[in-house]
Amino acid sequence: MNQKNNLIVGIIIALVVAASYNVDANPIEFVKGLPNLAIIAEEMTQIDPELFGTAFWSMLETIQMAFIGTIVGVAISLPLSMFAARNLNSKYVYAPVRAILAAIRTFPSILWAILFVIMVGLGPFAGVLAIIMYTVGFVTKLQYEVIETIDADPMDAVNSIGVSKWQLIRYVVLPESAPHLISQLLYMFDYNVRQTSILGLVGAGGIGFYIINYIKFFEYGKAAVFMIVVLIAVLIIDWVSVKIRDKYIIKSQHGMEVTTK
Amino acid sequence: MVITQTTNPSSFSIISTKKIIQMNEVWTSYDSKSYVLKGINLSIDKGTIYSIVGQSGSGKSTLLKLMNGLMTRSKGTIKIDYQTPNMNDKKFKSMMHKIGYIPQSLGLIKNISVLENTLIGALPRLGKIQSLFKMFPEKEIQEAKKILKLVGLLGKEKRKIYMLSGGEKRRVAIARALMQKPTILLADEIVSELDHVTAREIMNLIVDAQKRMNLTAIMVHHDMQLALEYSNRVAVIKAGEKILEIGVEGDKIVDFQTGDLTTQEIMEMYTGESKK
Repeated sequence: MNQKNNLIVGIIIALVVAASYNVDANPIEFVKGLPNLAIIAEEMTQIDPELFGTAFWSMLETIQMAFIGTIVGVAISLPLSMFAARNLNSKYVYAPVRAILAAIRTFPSILWAILFVIMVGLGPFAGVLAIIMYTVGFVTKLQYEVIETIDADPMDAVNSIGVSKWQLIRYVVLPESAPHLISQLLYMFDYNVRQTSILGLVGAGGIGFYIINYIKFFEYGKAAVFMIVVLIAVLIIDWVSVKIRDKYIIKSQHGMEVTTK
Repeated sequence: MVITQTTNPSSFSIISTKKIIQMNEVWTSYDSKSYVLKGINLSIDKGTIYSIVGQSGSGKSTLLKLMNGLMTRSKGTIKIDYQTPNMNDKKFKSMMHKIGYIPQSLGLIKNISVLENTLIGALPRLGKIQSLFKMFPEKEIQEAKKILKLVGLLGKEKRKIYMLSGGEKRRVAIARALMQKPTILLADEIVSELDHVTAREIMNLIVDAQKRMNLTAIMVHHDMQLALEYSNRVAVIKAGEKILEIGVEGDKIVDFQTGDLTTQEIMEMYTGESKK
């Protein structure tokens, strides 16, 4: 057993070395480049405080984009996940739905953003559409996996009454998977705020537009202002979602484990 | 073998002799390799309490799932009120509305209230739009409250399931089943894991409901003494086969069909179980 594990670790290391050679990943170059980082870091300390106002408003736009994208995306994911769950459908229903979802997930959000910029033009709307697509691809997958792991006993008990499939979804699947859905909503919003921050790279709105432009013109001090604002916003969102998680999710999951006589 | 005749015929609660459940040479398997049940024959009178006793893995739970159509047999015939149970058969749906089923882990929905869990039993009587928006008619809500009072949960309607004790959870599961206005009640080890006093409270509740609604109750137990105490008939299942069946009346055994067990083996099993 131990020998087998050593073999696996050895193979993985060999693969990493081989892949590094192919992509020119050279640690020496990294060390040589460190002084450049110092130069950038030094320039970044010369921040331009006048830009904080602009940064704040563009961050707000970014958060709004992520908010709409997450809510609409999750709202689409919810019914879709019911069709993708194996324990609720025949394979003629779930297989095609899953294939479409896999196709959606193939593209990172930035590619969706490019596609939507072409479709609806430059601006935040293209970004929102990209976030929706990304959210649908992922939340649906996470959600149908949750549905498939719902305890079989409540399903059996309610199914045995002879209820319709819609009643089963409404009275068993939804309430049993709700805590996970809230958790995914929070996670996705958190993730989408960070994602939306870079969608500006392709002209799809948000704070990334400023960051990429200032970096392009070597104005690292100005870019730093926007990066600080992103950092603060992400930290705040993280803190808030931990609070919400504690209040609603941990409590109900803890409750599930309590079995007193 | 001795068949003791009853001294007081009025205490005998079997009135109707209609066979509501009949199983003939039923074999079933989860995979094609081995059978869980091997040639089970059962015949259950309407309005009686029938208990199935056996150790873990003997096939007791499977037997219940065959009765409400959650599982289908491999061989043999099963008739529930003259119908063959199969949950995917539309014709059997109306029968399922009338079969209350309490699985071993109760199958309650943890994140909703006691009242909502109870109302699930009324779902077959609810229209599409009503059930989508949880619009239960006042009549059903009153009925649910009446049943919750009956099972001793009045005042706890709004509690979530995870806030309840083990005994209370069982009461909710019974309430949900009674809400179906059932003719048959299937309960899988409903009092196992409960303390002695609570177990008897729950059993009394079921016997009470059984008499009140003239139910046919089929209960799975692993405690032989409890089964004898609260049933009209007891079947013992071992490794997928029915090894004996006992008719009980009060504290007397009135009818005894033995399989290939010796009397001593039965008594050993009985005393072994009752000491638990």
